[in-house]
Amino acid sequence: MSSNSSTASRPARKGRGGLARLGPLPWVGPAVLLIVVVVLWPVYEMVRTSFLKISSSGFVRGSAGFDKYKQLFDEPSLPSIVVATVVWTLVVVTATMGISLALAQLFNQKFPGRRVTRWALIAPWAASLVMTAIGFKWMLNQTAGVLNTAMTDLGLIDRPEDWLGNPSTAWPWMMFVAVFVSLPFTTYTLLAGLQTIPTEVYEAAKVDGTNARQTYLRITLPLLRPALLVGMVINLINVFNSFPIIWSMTRGGPDSETATTTVFMYQLKNSDIGQSAAMSVVNFVLVVGMVVLFLKASRWNQEET
Amino acid sequence: MKKRLLVATCTLGVLTLTACGSGNGGGGSADGDVTLKLVAADYGDKASNSSTAYWEDVAERFTAANPKIKIDVQVINWNDIDAQVKTMIQSGNVPDILQTGGYADKVADDLLYKADEVLSEQTRANVIDSFAKAGDVDGTQYGIPFVSSARAFFYNKAVFAKAGIKEAPKSWDDLKAAAEKIKAKVPGVTPYALPLGPEEAQGESLIWELGNGGGYTDAAGKYTLDSKANTEAFSWLKSNLVENGLTYANPATTDRKTAFADFAAGKTAMLNGHPSLIQMSKDGKVDYGVAPIPGRAGALKSTLGVADWMMAFKDGGHKEEVRKFLDFAYSKENTLKFDETYNLMPVTKDTLKEMTTNGKHKDLEPFFALLPNAVFYPLGDTTWDSVSAEIKKSGGTAVNDPAKVLGELQKKAETAVADK
Repeated sequence: MSSNSSTASRPARKGRGGLARLGPLPWVGPAVLLIVVVVLWPVYEMVRTSFLKISSSGFVRGSAGFDKYKQLFDEPSLPSIVVATVVWTLVVVTATMGISLALAQLFNQKFPGRRVTRWALIAPWAASLVMTAIGFKWMLNQTAGVLNTAMTDLGLIDRPEDWLGNPSTAWPWMMFVAVFVSLPFTTYTLLAGLQTIPTEVYEAAKVDGTNARQTYLRITLPLLRPALLVGMVINLINVFNSFPIIWSMTRGGPDSETATTTVFMYQLKNSDIGQSAAMSVVNFVLVVGMVVLFLKASRWNQEET
Repeated sequence: MKKRLLVATCTLGVLTLTACGSGNGGGGSADGDVTLKLVAADYGDKASNSSTAYWEDVAERFTAANPKIKIDVQVINWNDIDAQVKTMIQSGNVPDILQTGGYADKVADDLLYKADEVLSEQTRANVIDSFAKAGDVDGTQYGIPFVSSARAFFYNKAVFAKAGIKEAPKSWDDLKAAAEKIKAKVPGVTPYALPLGPEEAQGESLIWELGNGGGYTDAAGKYTLDSKANTEAFSWLKSNLVENGLTYANPATTDRKTAFADFAAGKTAMLNGHPSLIQMSKDGKVDYGVAPIPGRAGALKSTLGVADWMMAFKDGGHKEEVRKFLDFAYSKENTLKFDETYNLMPVTKDTLKEMTTNGKHKDLEPFFALLPNAVFYPLGDTTWDSVSAEIKKSGGTAVNDPAKVLGELQKKAETAVADK
């Protein structure tokens, strides 16, 4: 029903005029404006910057065409960074989802102290990412780190190690921290999902004589799909874009050996803004593509079942 | 309704503030008085020793002698000064005089007076030659050195005694031999600290390259990052210090502040440091020695020099007034006071002479001897900033694969030059 037809049928109300004629615009306007200013405009600026030649003191020296993209794809370290990013995202998201499923199941049971433990789970979420990451960085410090001392005392390692200085040990530790901070959100999302599953369904299943494993696979997981999907998509985006953890713990170093594409983009910023913007554009395309693909894939699954 | 009013007031406030900000730019006034805008970095680490006090005192005495010239002092801390100056330049609120870490990028955009336009003959002759030369861009001096610092070799005397080492190493082989003794006899101490992380990669690399007769550029100023001498220097480090465990396990991620802190805590025995390590060592009760930096064949006669810079902007057009002020600021009385307050090294001949002879700076003596032969980064090259950023990022990994890493850096440097 448009505002036009309503004013035509009830001429007495014509006086209200102006605002009503705009229909829903005044209501959605602010949101649209916000999206334009906060999302679309920066995206435009980002794309524009990636085609510019900018001097180190910040002066724009004209158009660069596709030069910055060419330079970016010529970076010798780019292929390994892309591989690292994919591994990082897959490992962290998979581990997070797996552990969260178990945790959500646990917190869905009735046990003494449940309220306290549920609260405790929020802690890693409530603390700022940078704070957590810096905390772990110092706990892992070679000369003064608590974790190094503890592991040496327990006999797990012979002498304190420089965990974050070597990419082969830095990656697992950073993944651990990333999973640690992603758990609360994911667990709560899944927990909320679990609580929406009506108990009648379980009762019916019991009457039909299903065992625990069947119940979980045939009832819990399918009914948890919406929550799982939300958790997975948000985690994919978050982990892919995850910057504070890596930046606080290793700054992507040595060189770019512990960098994901997001961190690499920031490293490039120091030497060439244009190339850094080109990396951002590539990142943006990747993340949009990844989410679209994922959503497509999961919907296709749904139709099948 | 109230909220809307608040927003309106805020917006108005912001607008007025901006207006005030740009309104002050002019400087001149009707009665012939000139106000120079001086922006300087803060060398103090707390309110009580902030550089604001120093500059305000200089400004006050200067205005007393030159009543027609007022100085508007603005001191900004090191973390923010680059960004703030960038904003000032962009918004047209350009300072007349700026004292900060680098100058070449401003020359590239033609913003600065030449040094001989804003310094009297006498003041220019007083600046130590090696420093004055580091202020050149294509043969013309734009950057005016303000304070300096140099690297020297520090060692822990107590650790040396325990390991049975008689004297400071002179050559790389001496250094390796000393490091091996320390590793064998003083466990728990890192024999040599090699900070090749992003903070110090550009400095520590250059020191080792100089030790082998290499460097970042050739005589003509062309980048030679992957020269044979440089590659050899890193190969030596790799096969002698890193692989034998005579330094940190991962030099490419170790920063200078870690190395300095370790030295001041007695946890590392040798490193290349600058004068601020003197106070840190004293605070840590470390009995340290300072010696010339070991080179491949013998102790180096030169060292890596670092300077901070003064520059004058053309925008305000106050050439005469700026010259008067700079001549005043570079008088011995003022520079000596600044250098002594912050324990920094002078860049002028008279102050250097005073500090070497007045007996108050015994600690700094080894550094004074090194100053006239200091070697600098290619500061006058307008591509240096981006090349330096690349070296900071990946230069340290050259200890893992010298030829590959240095080759890639050289390629990037050449791209930067071509892009200029």
